[in-house]
Amino acid sequence: MKRSLAVLTALAMTAGTLIGCGGSADTPAAEQPAQEQPAKEEQAPQAESTDTETAEAENSGAEGRTEITFWHYMSEDKEGKFVNEAVEEFNNSQDEIFVNAQYLPRAELMKQYTIGVVSGELPDCGMVDNPDHNSYASMGVFEDITDLYNSWDEANFMEGSINSCYYDGKLYGLPWGNNCLGLFYNKEMLDAAGVEVPTTWSELEAACEKLTTDSCKGLAISAIGNEEGTFQYMPWLLSSGGSVMDLTSEGSKESMTYLYNLIEKGYVSRECVNWTQADAEKQFAAGQAAMMINGPWQFSGLANDAPDLDYGVAKVPKADDGDYASVLGGENVAICTGANVEASWTFLTWITSKEKSQEICKSIGRFSPRADVNVQEMFEGDPLNSVFAEVMPNAQSRGPSPDWPEISAAIYTAQQEVFTGQKDVDTAMADAQAKIDAISQK
Amino acid sequence: MGANKMDRKEQMLGYLFIVPAVVYMLIFIGYPIVYNWIVSFQDVTALTLGSDTRDFLGFANYKAIFADVTFRKALLHTFVYTVGCLVIQFSLGFLFAMFFAKKFTFSKPIRGFIVISWMLPVTVTALVFKFMFAEGNGIINAILLGLHIIDQPIGWLLNGNTAMLGLIIANSWVGIPFNMLLLTTGLNDISTDIYEAASIDGATGWQKFVRITVPLLKPTIMSVLVLGFVLTFKVFDLVYVMTGGGPVDATEVLSTYSYKLSFQLFHFGEGAAVANILFICLFLVALIYLKTISRDEMM
Repeated sequence: MKRSLAVLTALAMTAGTLIGCGGSADTPAAEQPAQEQPAKEEQAPQAESTDTETAEAENSGAEGRTEITFWHYMSEDKEGKFVNEAVEEFNNSQDEIFVNAQYLPRAELMKQYTIGVVSGELPDCGMVDNPDHNSYASMGVFEDITDLYNSWDEANFMEGSINSCYYDGKLYGLPWGNNCLGLFYNKEMLDAAGVEVPTTWSELEAACEKLTTDSCKGLAISAIGNEEGTFQYMPWLLSSGGSVMDLTSEGSKESMTYLYNLIEKGYVSRECVNWTQADAEKQFAAGQAAMMINGPWQFSGLANDAPDLDYGVAKVPKADDGDYASVLGGENVAICTGANVEASWTFLTWITSKEKSQEICKSIGRFSPRADVNVQEMFEGDPLNSVFAEVMPNAQSRGPSPDWPEISAAIYTAQQEVFTGQKDVDTAMADAQAKIDAISQK
Repeated sequence: MGANKMDRKEQMLGYLFIVPAVVYMLIFIGYPIVYNWIVSFQDVTALTLGSDTRDFLGFANYKAIFADVTFRKALLHTFVYTVGCLVIQFSLGFLFAMFFAKKFTFSKPIRGFIVISWMLPVTVTALVFKFMFAEGNGIINAILLGLHIIDQPIGWLLNGNTAMLGLIIANSWVGIPFNMLLLTTGLNDISTDIYEAASIDGATGWQKFVRITVPLLKPTIMSVLVLGFVLTFKVFDLVYVMTGGGPVDATEVLSTYSYKLSFQLFHFGEGAAVANILFICLFLVALIYLKTISRDEMM
């Protein structure tokens, strides 16, 4: 009896810690919606002054209306407020459906989808990063909306974007917003060093040499060990003629060697292996990097962090004998399994309609994925956005493949191995290729 | 006879009182553990996660992870990290506890300040240390360079060995006050009479420490070490925020690797198997602890 009691106690001791380990990671999820709620209520009175009738409906919450939840990862202090505004506009525009928008950090949101498949606690609709869409569709997180889509007369999206929503020939979502990468440069620093905006790799290296000082690096990139690292590596890989499916080709290796040299020469901080794209933005904003590779979603962050910074945007420099290349980033929205499909579809088709899509994408630093929105025309005369708008149509998508997370892991691992000097380029790329081959053979 | 009946009644009442706790534990602790064990024996990937019928694989997931180089590294890293942290935080914690037991002026407020690091959220600590260890503009390199201890900045979190050292230092900073507090409580329980008696007998300070303090503190020391081991071994947030298991997999520990397998690569079965290895390690430590405790009690 005493012995079994001891075993039980031991079990309880360890069990508590094991659960605690999972539990602590869960807390943000539990807290976020709770924080979201008061924010919602604060917004309600504002609506009252504009329209008393809808305000009454607002005050009584969603009473009498079909309530649906919408998960997104547009951070509350930046793009999120525009999402909330759009959702509020939708709620006020009709009295059938009431949408509750909930913010969760990206990694947390993705985890909650996975958990939701097992526990059945999924929202009605939500956002997903486009390279991951296939994986979550294969998991059964999302509803097949092929038929609804085919009977929607406003269905008109760019091919690369809508393709990322297809899995196994069926459609599991709608494109929400696109983005891609460009070269941000600090005008003052370039002028002071007498450097032209670089367009090729050689020019970039020469520019870095002049711009790098004791307290300032030439270029900031993110090479972190997750999807962001792969995303940032793609333009280099593609420009020198490399490919995700052939990492041991000359072009693929050339791109990795080029970046490694920039680090070895001290033009790019080795610290980049721990930097997210947001960290790279902080370096650039603080004047610790004269240039950075980043996307249009950083405009709002830069305006906050460094309102006086005079910067410009150019295309990511191309390999000396290659072409400009960029990678397609962005989010899709989808309806979750077992959700209120009808109400969710109404909401999603409203928010991805031509008018709304172009409006919301503009405010959150994205480009509308709709084929009937001419982004070039829209941003004509805007020196920053027009660059991205020009790159957008040729930006290459990642995947689509349900195995993308594993392929991506092979790539960012190789990048980290090279940048930290653990493996030379040849070995790292060969190892990564071996992993990718193993995945596709499964 | 009547007394016996009374006893039984009281006993029943006792069980009744612990029922809520037991039910709670079964649902919220027992069920996830059992579920995790089941998952670790099944073929659970992105494709089969939602389906009701998953193939039973036996020990295939366990074989797979033990054949996996990264897992073996993660296992080793977890032990290196735990032992490293325990040595530093226990010895320094002990020193601090002895120091503050002296009860000099301001000893209490200063002790209070030290405890702040234990009360900070781990994510905050991790971020602060990440900045401090930065290669280019981190304060640690700035100080070391300024004192001419090093002549080149060290990429603390960029090399495997120094990254692990960085994690150990950050965690020890949190762990020292925890060790100190528990040991201080233990020290306060030792009667001053014993020390006085020893002084009269002519014992030196070192003799008092080795012959009185340590033996009488043994139960406290044991629990501090075991609790410290358990808390350190299951580290997640600190590693996740500071290095994310990197560079490459140089600081990958069991918890972060389990997370990566499950939620980034969608190999749920293998992720569960890694979590169970973590569980077994902690379970063994807890058993050893209980065994030593009960032996001491019998003596």
